[in-house]
Order: sequence, then C-alpha cells, then structure tokens
Amino acid sequence: MSALRFNAMHFMPYVHLPKHHKEFNSTWVSFPNKFYDPARGHELYQRYLQELVLADRLGYDAIVVNEHHNTVYSMMATPNLIAAALIPQTKNAKICVWGTPPNLMLPNRLAEEYAILDVMSQGRLEVAFPLGTGMEYWANPLSPATARERFKESLKVILQAWTQDGPTTHYGQFYTYRFLNPWPRPYQRPHPPCYIVGTGSPETIEIAAELGFGYASVFVTQQRCHELNENLRQRATHYGHTIRPDQLPLLTFVYVAETQEQAEREYVGHLESFFSDYLRTIPHYLAPPGYLSVEQLKTRAAMADKLHGGFDFDAISGSFFVAVGTPEKVANQLGDWAAWMKTSHINCVMHIADMPHWKTVKNLTLFAEHVIPRLRTRTDAPQRVAAE
Amino acid sequence: MGKFARETLTVDGVKTVVHTAGSGEPIVFFHGAGTVDGFDFAEPWADKFKVIVPYHPGFGESGDDPSFTDLHDYVMHYLELFDMLGLERFHLVGLSLGGYLAAKFASEHGHRIKKLALIAPAGMIDPKHPMMDVIAVPGEELPGLLVSNFDVLKKRLPEKPDLDFIGERYREAATVARLLWEHPADPKFMRYLHRIKVPTLIVWGDEDKLIPVQQTETWRKFLPQADIKVFKGAGHLVHLEKPEAVDAVAKFLS
Repeated sequence: MSALRFNAMHFMPYVHLPKHHKEFNSTWVSFPNKFYDPARGHELYQRYLQELVLADRLGYDAIVVNEHHNTVYSMMATPNLIAAALIPQTKNAKICVWGTPPNLMLPNRLAEEYAILDVMSQGRLEVAFPLGTGMEYWANPLSPATARERFKESLKVILQAWTQDGPTTHYGQFYTYRFLNPWPRPYQRPHPPCYIVGTGSPETIEIAAELGFGYASVFVTQQRCHELNENLRQRATHYGHTIRPDQLPLLTFVYVAETQEQAEREYVGHLESFFSDYLRTIPHYLAPPGYLSVEQLKTRAAMADKLHGGFDFDAISGSFFVAVGTPEKVANQLGDWAAWMKTSHINCVMHIADMPHWKTVKNLTLFAEHVIPRLRTRTDAPQRVAAE
Repeated sequence: MGKFARETLTVDGVKTVVHTAGSGEPIVFFHGAGTVDGFDFAEPWADKFKVIVPYHPGFGESGDDPSFTDLHDYVMHYLELFDMLGLERFHLVGLSLGGYLAAKFASEHGHRIKKLALIAPAGMIDPKHPMMDVIAVPGEELPGLLVSNFDVLKKRLPEKPDLDFIGERYREAATVARLLWEHPADPKFMRYLHRIKVPTLIVWGDEDKLIPVQQTETWRKFLPQADIKVFKGAGHLVHLEKPEAVDAVAKFLS
C-alpha cells in the first residue's frame, strides 16, 4: 500500500433549523430562505473556518470544500470564496474544491478562479468537477437535460485554457471563445490535480477515464464504490492512462472517541440528523427531468429512500464507509477499506449536521493524533479483507 | 387503440408511430406534453374524417431524438412526416403543448392548413394570467391539476405506478425539459402569430388550472378571426371531460 493521505472534509451546514422543519418535505431547493439568519450564519462561518484551519495545523494532508445551492446542507454555494478565505490561514494542506459543476458556470470564469486559487496557494489547489446533484438544477437556470453535454464542453474549455498558450479559440455547441486567454494561469503545470466527482453514472466514469482524471465517488455503497473504482481503472487503461491509488478518494464518515460506546453516543444522533434532516429531499428535486437516463432513473427509483429521508445506523454503516469508535477500530476499518478499494486517499467527513464545535475539535484532534499515525506506518496487507 | 390502426415510420432517422382511423378529409392531432390522456377521445371524429394521430418524438410510442431542443425541430419533423404521408392540406388540431406546436406550424406553413383548432394551447406569454410552470410541479401532483373531474383521468392511470410507468413519464418530462427548461416561452412565437389566416377555433375549459381560461382574450388579440368556445366545469383536459368540446371541433371542421 502506498502512503495514505487524509483529507478533512466539511459541508458547513446551516444548523439552526426551525423547530417545525419536518413539516417541509425537503431541506433543499424550496426550503424557505427566511429561515437563514445571517447573524448566526456569520458565527457558523467563523467557527467552520477555524475547524478547517485546525485541520491544517493538525497535519491533515488536505481540506475539502464543495458546492451546493438552496439548502441547509451546505453554506458553500460558491466554494471558491471559502477556499480563498482558507488559503492565507493555512500552510501545508492542499485546498480541495470538489467543486463547482463546470456546466453551471462560464468555463473561462471557472478556469480563472481555480487558477487564482492555485497561484494564491502556491500550488496547493486540487479540483474535482461534479455534474452537480439534481437539486442544483432547480436553483440554476441551465437545463438538466443538456447538463452532460455542457459538462463535457465546459471541461474541454477549462483544460484548453490551462494547457494551451493563449489566446486560443473555441467554437462549440454551448460556448464561443474568440480569445480564450485567461490570466492568471495555474501555478501547477500543466494544471492542478483533477478529479471527477459523482455517484458513478457510466457517462461520468468514462469522462474521467478518457482524461486520466481521478474519480471521487460519493454516496454510493461500499460494493458499488469497489465496482466503480474497478471500472475506472479498466476504462482508463483503454485510453492509455493508469489510475494511481491516490486518484480514488474514498468518502468516509469518521468519528473517534475514547471508547466505542462513547463514540456512538456522541456521534450517531448527528449522523441520523444528517440523513433524515440535512439530506431530506423529494424525488422530483433529486432527478429533474433529463438529468438521468430513463434506465438510471428506474434503477434509482427502485432503491429510493435508502439515502434521503430514512435512517438506520446499522444499515447506513453497513452500506457506506462509516467508521465510528476507538482510534484503533477506526484505523483498522479505514486501513482495510483502503486496501479493499485499492486506494491510498481517504477523504474524511469530520463534521456533520448539528455536531457542536467541541466534538468537531475532539474528532479532528483524536483522529490526527491517534488514527493517522497508526495508518501512516501501516504497510502490511489488510488485516481483515472485506468480502469481495 | 380502438378504431385506430398503428403504423411505424422512420422520419429522418427517428422512429415515429402514427395512429390512423376513419376516412374523409384528414385531421392531424398534435398531443400535449404527456400522453397518459390517450387518443380514444378522437374516435367520434373518425365517423366523418380521416384522423391521424402521431406521437411526437420523445413521447409515447415514438423514438427519441435528443437533438430536438427547440419547438421548431418538431415543425421540421412534421413537414417531413406529412410529405411522407402525402398530406398536402389538412385540418390541424393541437392540445396544450401540441396547440402551441400547431399554431407555430400554422404561422409558418399556413398554406397547408385548412382549418386550425387549438385546445387549451400553451405558448402564449400572458403576464397577468401566466401558465403554470409544469416543470416545477412534482409528477404525482400533476394529474390533479389536469382535470376538474378526476374520475375521467383516474381510469387512465395505474393504481400504483410501476417503474415502467414512472420511467415513461420521466422520459416525456425530459423531452419537455429539452424544449422548455431554459426558455419556457418564446416571444417570437407571438411576433408571427398574425400570419395565421385560416379559420381558427379555440377551445378551453373554464376551470383550467394549468393555463388560465383568461388567456382566450389574449389569443383573441392575436387571432381576431378565431371562434372561442369555453366549456364550463372543465379543466385543462377539456377534451376528456366534455364530449361536447370534441363535437364542437368536429362541427367547426365540417
């Protein structure tokens, strides 16, 4: 196993949900923004930024922010602003913006913003390109039905802007550039490390394979994640690329405490709230028309409600990568999963839902001081290989 | 489908299913943004006319063409289909989105239309009486908005929608999203409506929850020659709720 890498990821949720929030069938898209109190939002930004700065001080390899719209789930509608705020406060951690859907933004503008962040941070930027959840399309003016075509073209423009000396031109289906010549250019050559992030539709896997990008699968089951990683490796070979273990970030939900019992007592309520409240939405928002192929829609409708709106700790921790317990247990679990998924890149969600500051600091600290060192020295084969 | 005979054609590479019944002067019917309402309402027309009901690409039994991103793509599709069918001149009837398409077709190719009938047509930009944005409405809420008397629609819907039914509705919604997500209305449509010179009938239900019946007045401004018939107690699918509305179209075309 190559040296493991650890990211601290934060969703920056707005945690002051009104008491009657369960009367709303979704905390996304249409959840009234009158419930957002800017004064409390300010306090949360202050707090969350401190938590991510702490992650840098504690030696995490990277800090991860991402983008969602119209929701309590995330206060990072424009994650590049958050990244810009983090850069001067951090020293070593890579800044991962995972990320803005390139099809929902003008591609030259996104190429510019990422280049600015890369230059500001002296090459600490990593980016992931998501298609965006279905929910993002209800908040934005562009069609979900042409999202995948736009995504591809936008990505092409961004890579052209980064890799070819300007000015160049682009005449496409959606975008016309007579002078594609963005200043600044990225600090890293040819460009910051790139990933595609998604739930594993064959179309997005293919894009990553073709470009030799990493793939960060999110909110997929363990078995599915394993299949997706395998698919990407195979498809990338077809295009002449070899996917490295660090290109397959593994999304994990982590909480560490002194004992198993204490860890569960301190964490499970927040995990439940995360799935039942912060991810609560309706199928119409999850799958706007044209966002999925009819086949994908049927597949997902058949397994609906597993993720959004219901909660069972055992089922969730059996399906997803949830590591909760003592440092030893968490380290073993993460090490085994990494070996099984053939990845060296562990992306840890260190705060969820309404978890208070003290727990977040405790989690970040115990994980950094007692879990990461165990795994950094682990070079052996997995101790317990999950059934393949 | 009752009296109708089914024919499958390939129009410029797109599988196109056409149902035909009766004989006489041809009537072409353009369905709306969904196809659960079926076509059997049109059977009485087959007593006097040759009724031709195509499924638009992306709907019902016809195939998909994801390159269709504009209503004008459908105009071109139908020019091609009508040439294949040898339809030189015909009556054109359109419902809802199909009414929008029929009016657009008639404004561009009026010489091929004998008479035009529009049933609760979409397409009009009327800020005082706007059409409901159906794209924003969850699918399960739509049936209740389509009719005043739910019983007429209920028998056409599965008791518990299965995956195939959900998939088919999603496919049709995706087709609509390709056309209308970014631009639900086109001001240019009204700009050229005056080119419709043929006799026109506009039919509406006075309890239409999708497109307010007050839009009849706006249509009158653009098509002063139009005869307007409003049926009391009917919703958007006035042709299902009021057989009189179907008769009125037949009388007008006779």
